[in-house]
Amino acid sequence: MLSYLLATLTFAGIYGMLALGLNVIWGMTGMINLGLAGYFAVGAYASALLTTAAGLPILVGAAIGIAAAAVTGALTARLTLKLRGDYLAIVTLGFGELIRLIAANEIWLTNGSDGIPGIPGPFRSSLSPLEFNALFAAITVFAVAFCWALTERLRRSPYGRALRAIREDETAAAVAGKKVGAMKVQAFALGAALLGLAGVLYAHFTSYIAPDVFRPLLTIYIFLSLTAGGTGNPTGAVLGAVIVVVILEGSRFAEAILPAMSGAGAAALREITIGVLLIVIMRLRPEGLLAERPPKPLGATR
Amino acid sequence: MLDILPQLLVNGIITGTLLAIPAIGFTAIFAVLRFPNFAVASHATIGAFAGYAANVWLGLPAELSLVAAFLVAGLVGVVSDEIALRPLRPYGALTTAIASIALTIVLENVVRLIFGNGLRGYDLPLVRDWRVWDIRIGPQQIENFALALILMAVVFAALRFSRIGKAMRAVADNPALAELKGIDPVRIGRLTAFFGMGLVGAGGMLLGLGTSIDPLTGFRFILPIFAAAVVGGLGSIPGAALGAMVVGLGEEVALLVLSPAYKSAVGFMAIVLVLTFRPRGLLGERAY
Amino acid sequence: MIGTCRPTRRAALAGLAAALAAPSIVRAQEGAIRFGTLTPLTGTGGTYGPAMRDAVIGAVRAVNANGGLLGRQIQIVSEDTQTSPEAAVRAARKLIDVDGVAAIMGTWASSVTTAVAPLCWESKTMLFTVSGADSITQLPHQGFIARTQPNSQLQIEVASRFMVDQGGTSFAWIGPQTPFAQSSIDILTAVAAEAGIEVESLIYEAEKSTYRSEVDTILRSDPDFIQLGGYAADSTVLLRDLWQAGYEGMIIGPAYAVNDSVVEALPAEVLEGVFTWEGAPAIDSEAYANVQQILGVETVDPYSAQTYDHANLAMLAIGKAGASSGQAIHDHLREISQGSGQATGSAVSGLGVLPGDVNYDGASGPCDFDEIGDITGTQFLFKRFENGAPVEFERV
Repeated sequence: MLSYLLATLTFAGIYGMLALGLNVIWGMTGMINLGLAGYFAVGAYASALLTTAAGLPILVGAAIGIAAAAVTGALTARLTLKLRGDYLAIVTLGFGELIRLIAANEIWLTNGSDGIPGIPGPFRSSLSPLEFNALFAAITVFAVAFCWALTERLRRSPYGRALRAIREDETAAAVAGKKVGAMKVQAFALGAALLGLAGVLYAHFTSYIAPDVFRPLLTIYIFLSLTAGGTGNPTGAVLGAVIVVVILEGSRFAEAILPAMSGAGAAALREITIGVLLIVIMRLRPEGLLAERPPKPLGATR
Repeated sequence: MLDILPQLLVNGIITGTLLAIPAIGFTAIFAVLRFPNFAVASHATIGAFAGYAANVWLGLPAELSLVAAFLVAGLVGVVSDEIALRPLRPYGALTTAIASIALTIVLENVVRLIFGNGLRGYDLPLVRDWRVWDIRIGPQQIENFALALILMAVVFAALRFSRIGKAMRAVADNPALAELKGIDPVRIGRLTAFFGMGLVGAGGMLLGLGTSIDPLTGFRFILPIFAAAVVGGLGSIPGAALGAMVVGLGEEVALLVLSPAYKSAVGFMAIVLVLTFRPRGLLGERAY
Repeated sequence: MIGTCRPTRRAALAGLAAALAAPSIVRAQEGAIRFGTLTPLTGTGGTYGPAMRDAVIGAVRAVNANGGLLGRQIQIVSEDTQTSPEAAVRAARKLIDVDGVAAIMGTWASSVTTAVAPLCWESKTMLFTVSGADSITQLPHQGFIARTQPNSQLQIEVASRFMVDQGGTSFAWIGPQTPFAQSSIDILTAVAAEAGIEVESLIYEAEKSTYRSEVDTILRSDPDFIQLGGYAADSTVLLRDLWQAGYEGMIIGPAYAVNDSVVEALPAEVLEGVFTWEGAPAIDSEAYANVQQILGVETVDPYSAQTYDHANLAMLAIGKAGASSGQAIHDHLREISQGSGQATGSAVSGLGVLPGDVNYDGASGPCDFDEIGDITGTQFLFKRFENGAPVEFERV
């Protein structure tokens, strides 16, 4: 049981990290990114390949994984600077699928749909499964706390105010002398770096990645997390992720109480419950459970 | 390799025409309600299954089943929009779009709950394709093609000549002005949700006719549907038709130069290419 | 701002605690032996998962009705992989850590199996799988994986030789991108080359609604025997497209791809003459008849046949060991699956023979395992569709 709770905490942390990354890109700067599974994949694959095929230490793999995701993010932002939100939504959706197709088809690089097994975890061989889960949960919680503090600080800084100004009205921000293009690229890169870090955590925790991991379903869960928790607010992002994981995991136990059903029926009912709960949360709190409020040192933008 | 180009062109035109129907539905909803409704995935599935039920359970011919697909998907569209999405619209297009993703999960699984996961095929006489100058084409394809063209003609005529169609265009072009003129935006919104999702449902059935359907049917179509709408210009109905043709042709003809394993990437590349030069799509965003 | 949101957070934490406390309710049935099914109930594998789960439940129900195992009842906990390794890992953690299952059965997608496998061998939980990728049994699983699906190398070799034997003169392979797509093409090419036959191949993207252009492309080489490499959903589309294109040659596909749900979805004339192959059960085996009865079908899907065997193997191993842990299944699996003991086709009849020697012969084949968990000595059964139903054609 404890092992399960720790693993669930780790997954909640990974979801939370993804939500934090999305929050920088979408919540704070207003660029929607439906391809976040793609950046998650870039971070995971880079670190996995470097620590297995190239045999580098995990920390090096992690750093390069994060950097690779950031660079991918910067490139995406550079290419899509002129696009309005709804267009960006669909372009990034396509981008996420493209990354998955590449992961499945470029076998020479990614080992194709076989995936990459045996990705090392920190001290995995010398720890019991329970100890490893505890260690990794601690690492994940620490990483999420760090990134939460980082983005919360960013939000309160003049830089964060400028990002918000871009989100609310790009033209006005440009008139006010903000370097809109450069800042959007930077924000996208930072957010993608967090997404990449989530990928790194996932790869070294589960020890295996494959293209199937990076299907759009995961992106959907993260968007629901952030929307339920409160876009623009790092605390809301983490809270939303925890709620989504609790709903995902909690529904397993609800299922056991239900009368016996066909396999497909029970699974369908579980997913219906998940979807309905999320819609209910959005209906009750359309701005998220923790709606974004202007941080203290700020007065005028909103 | 080039010897099959004519065949690929024919395949592409047919795929493009079928794709146009749901793409028009998607873009019409965007034009009036101003948000990308990701629930098109489940509505395409619902249409396909409603058509299946009419065709196989009630024994109706394909043409009448198509009407059933339209009506059921449209009805589900307007009801689910009313319950789940309309209350969220004041909070922004993207919030509503995210809710539509949750909605599509719910609806897909309602279909799964009712029909299970098995594959189902329509009850249609199967005929071998005809060969004309070494190009093959099936009677069923020609019929689907014709049905799609008729549907499109009805849509365009309705938008141009009917009062409702004119009101929809007015709301799409300028909601504030339309309201001043006494057009009730909520009513028009409902009608758009009905007709838009109806088209998506009919399109889902048309796309499903040549294959077998299961609860994931709609999900298989969404990338090309979105790509078609974006390439043509989000919110532009003729644009969606044109975009569908570009994506349909692109996916098939790309086989000449690209591994078929990358077919889905074609829509994405078309988007990037078009948007680089025309950030508002090929035909811009005027609804009609 | 942190102060103002505290009530919400507390509420959320309370909810979390409540949700996670729920298992104590579920655990009421103490003393039961637990198995987990981890099949794809949603997602691309969804066409297979429900019946795979039902076959396990049917096998267990028979033993429970007959007095149980070691005097205890067996309880099945079903989870959904959602055909996603990420979701499957979460589900497997729950099965292992909360339910304490002795074995997990029925993982289907190779990526799901590979993702779940380390959790199983670390926690000494037995993993029974139907995944075909060769890489799976090469994982460092210390004997905690047993695979009832013949590995893909063997499968493709047998099917390819069959194609040569049937007198094909020009081959084609068409299938989606999978862990065994490229190796299938390589094997078919090698086998065909010995007979001086050319092979054309095409790997497509799964989850498309039509493969007309792919079919047109592959037919340019004018093949007279085509091997399908996909699953039920895409094979349905392909078979129809091939038929409409006027293809008159032979077709062969794995039985799990051209299965009952394909028969349901396609008119009989499209399937006429199509060959399938699968690992074969003994003729008129008791196990096969049981699965037919459990699922209420005439033709048992190979995957469901295999999960039925998973459950029976696990139960017999536990019966042999006299203990109900994953380690017990691991240690005693080969004692009841192979050897010279009395042949048996179900746990119910096998448990009656214990502690004497039994040799389980399943619905999917003899279920004999080598040291890395692959099955050996599989016979292959080829069927041919006649008037919409598969008819036995040949055993190899």
